[in-house]
Amino acid sequence: MGERRTLSTTGIVAMAIGTALYAAFNVFFNILQLPGTQLVALRPSVAIPMFFGYTFGPVVGFVSGFLGNVISDAISWGGFWWNWDVGNGLLGLIPGLAPYFISKEDVFRRRGYLVCAVLAIVASIVGMGFAAYTDYLFGYGISTIEEATYALFLPAAVTDAINGAIITPILVAAYASAARGRARRI
Amino acid sequence: MSTRLIRYIEGESLVHRLDPRAKLTFIFFMVFSLTLASQILSIIPLLAISLVFYSSAKLPWSKTKATWKFILVIIVILSLLNYLTIVLLYSEGPILERLASPNAVRKALMPVLKLLSLALVTATLVFTTPPNLYAPALGQMGFPYRAAYVIQLALRYVPEFMAEMGRTLEAQMARGFRPRGGRNPLARILSVVPLVVPVTVSATLSIYDIADSMELRGFGEERCHTWYRELKLSKWDKLLLVLSYSLGAIYILLFMI
Repeated sequence: MGERRTLSTTGIVAMAIGTALYAAFNVFFNILQLPGTQLVALRPSVAIPMFFGYTFGPVVGFVSGFLGNVISDAISWGGFWWNWDVGNGLLGLIPGLAPYFISKEDVFRRRGYLVCAVLAIVASIVGMGFAAYTDYLFGYGISTIEEATYALFLPAAVTDAINGAIITPILVAAYASAARGRARRI
Repeated sequence: MSTRLIRYIEGESLVHRLDPRAKLTFIFFMVFSLTLASQILSIIPLLAISLVFYSSAKLPWSKTKATWKFILVIIVILSLLNYLTIVLLYSEGPILERLASPNAVRKALMPVLKLLSLALVTATLVFTTPPNLYAPALGQMGFPYRAAYVIQLALRYVPEFMAEMGRTLEAQMARGFRPRGGRNPLARILSVVPLVVPVTVSATLSIYDIADSMELRGFGEERCHTWYRELKLSKWDKLLLVLSYSLGAIYILLFMI
């Protein structure tokens, strides 16, 4: 991962592909909102920016989450909320910090998958925490900390943490074996 | 294809004809001012500006109905949630007195008005700006062209991946997979989950091929990059820019007082 510069052509294409994938899946999951969760959608697709962050670095992960959420919101209903976009960006940025905790060799091994799952949980807490509590701090739609916690933060963080911790390591492992099988760079 | 997906509504209104750079600057200062505004009296002018901006776009109701439905559902839920939380947790005295308190109504409505202003301006930007102008606008605002190109490339691939999801589902069904559908929304969501891994992995494997073919065509060789669409500021754009900067300055001053 070290030789990949963030704004190299590969980095740019990775950001664009991550953004497009996240937006495409989000559009689908935004349509299928569960009754009673109008404020927060259940999105297994949160694993996509987490996977791109873990595989291609924190900036690629952040852009995939941020821009993917802007585009999917623009497609789904026509507008966007900047703080939820930044929160989604953090979902991708934090798993990208994996190389600070594990060696390069372990990234695509069992130890790496464990770190990936833990970072996905941390990312869900930090990312959704940022989005929910900035809604409260700046007064975007809600006026009490209880609403931020129980109506926004907990449903979003818990579902994202579960989805991210299960699906992201599966994505990383599937990508690592597919790339090895095709003798590609990983 | 991305033009159809992103909710751009063709039109000849003044807002449609504005330079996307002026619109992006205006949105930035509106979001900034709304973030700083903490009194109902400072939010009302911003809501009025958002309404003028939205109505100047002359968007047809038939094409914006779904957006308004979404915004109204959010507003009704949040207003009720705010009102009940304030009345039940943050007020004292008899319940009827608490329910009729103008303070509770004001506190419940203020953040909702902020949210409505935000929704109006961002929706107007999306509805009136063709998607192929975002990258040239950012590039001509001084963003590195490589960063602006991410948006161009992402918008190009969104419809492609939506089609890829359909193809992957068909391939899985040909191998015996039967997605559970029907009226149960949870079952329908779960039926999409098996697509996340194959579509993501196959898309990720193509990254190096796309990057190599772009480099073979000279992408990233030149530091300086020109845009096919050269944007020019009209007098209305300049007026909007002056309004945006003034708005930012006024709300900074109000915040500091």
